[in-house]
Amino acid sequence: MSKKELRQRAKQLAKEHGYLQYMIERYLTLWGEEDTLKFIESCNQPIRTSIRINTLKASANEVLVRLQKKGVTVEKVPWLDFGFYADFDGSSPGALLEHMLGLYFVQGVPSMTTVNVLNPQPGETVLDLAAAPGGKTTHIAQMMENTGKVIAVEQDRQRIISLQSNIIRCGATNTIVLRGDARKLNNLPFEPNKILLDAPCSGEGLIPLDPTRKTSKTMADIRFCATRENEMLEAAVNVLADGGTMVYSTCSIAPEENEYIVDDIVRRYPEMEIVEIAPDFGAPGYIDPYSIKLNESLKQARRFLPHLHGTEGFFICKMKKREGSTT
Amino acid sequence: MTLALVDPVEWDSIIEQIDIEFGAGVTKRLVGNLVPVTMSRGATRIFYAIPTEWMTIVTELAETPNIQFIGKELGSIEKERFRLSLHILSELAHLTESFIIVSKQGAEAFTYGRSIIKQSVLSVDSSLVRGQRVLVLNKNRECLGIAALSVDASKVNRLGAERLVAKNLVDVGWFIRRLG
Repeated sequence: MSKKELRQRAKQLAKEHGYLQYMIERYLTLWGEEDTLKFIESCNQPIRTSIRINTLKASANEVLVRLQKKGVTVEKVPWLDFGFYADFDGSSPGALLEHMLGLYFVQGVPSMTTVNVLNPQPGETVLDLAAAPGGKTTHIAQMMENTGKVIAVEQDRQRIISLQSNIIRCGATNTIVLRGDARKLNNLPFEPNKILLDAPCSGEGLIPLDPTRKTSKTMADIRFCATRENEMLEAAVNVLADGGTMVYSTCSIAPEENEYIVDDIVRRYPEMEIVEIAPDFGAPGYIDPYSIKLNESLKQARRFLPHLHGTEGFFICKMKKREGSTT
Repeated sequence: MTLALVDPVEWDSIIEQIDIEFGAGVTKRLVGNLVPVTMSRGATRIFYAIPTEWMTIVTELAETPNIQFIGKELGSIEKERFRLSLHILSELAHLTESFIIVSKQGAEAFTYGRSIIKQSVLSVDSSLVRGQRVLVLNKNRECLGIAALSVDASKVNRLGAERLVAKNLVDVGWFIRRLG
């Protein structure tokens, strides 16, 4: 397809499905027409509700039995120990007593997967950047069995309220919440072993959950987010302990906010290397999006895409800082 | 907000307030080996308990105004009255006899912010007195929040079905109501 033909087809599809033209142009270039149409179609389908059982409060079995007694149908997410698809039969997942008691957290499968990829261990010091509303913070606390330290950084005052509420509800007692800009981390009095940066992004992967996203963000918004994501990732690299692990994720499907960002970081910080994520979910990261050659290791990153995995769009990349890299 | 160690005199007063209502020695068992620290937010002072090994970073964090929350939230003081945090209630439920057990219907109403009426009460220790704060438990002995008795527990049986027994002070439904 020539550029002109691609633009015309994008214009047509954009009009037909209510998207901005630039988005469809990018999808056609990235995936071709067949997958673009599948993507558009899948974005009209609801995403299955999923929950994480909070073992800080009760055993998984106990919670599952209680939920089943209340008519909730659950199905385990194959690669997640405590992640389940849950059908609440029309009732609100947040309205059950079990939710109020912190026995489970309503959380997307990609979000739970991100923390699993980070794999925090008891006793570690973990930094969670842009942490609100706290799904990942409390998941980290859970995996660390309420030991060690989880430092959650969030800038937005209102979002800090929800972060703290969720920490309290889930019974996490190993957390410290700091209000601040995740791009300015130079005065932290600790060196984290692990960092999770689920960066604020354009949210292009959330179209199945929020159809207004089809028209709400321009290419300039994506560039703005990319700049901020780059700055956040750079700040995180600088504070990560030698030999430490970092997971970078976004709920955007735009390579500009994902592979490009990581590619730039590993080029500028040779001590950072992309490491493998168990390939039991998602699809590999892109290494030549829009025909731009990127670091080959990016195929070790994982992507969730609505038309391939039935989830919101998501990107997850795991990196390691080589031992002895700080002089 | 800035973080500081708790003034020992003030801490003694908090221990007294909790122990009077929930039993002698309860605060000590609740805090265990943790160290109490405090932060101020406007007129409210919030108290947390943290592991001793965090003390070194706390000294440094104390100089940064951006700390919002740390460790286990014990409660807050506003107008000289200590209010327990929801963070510690499930632990406290294992340490105290100051509780009221309510029916399924009463439990549901309580999590919607309602107070407890006589027909919802399944059991309450007769030694508890009017004005006293008690934990509100459901039949599974899960803590749903805190209420203040509006009548001596020994007189509950004399009340009509619709009469108020305990006023809701805080409940776990707050998580939903607060977050909308």
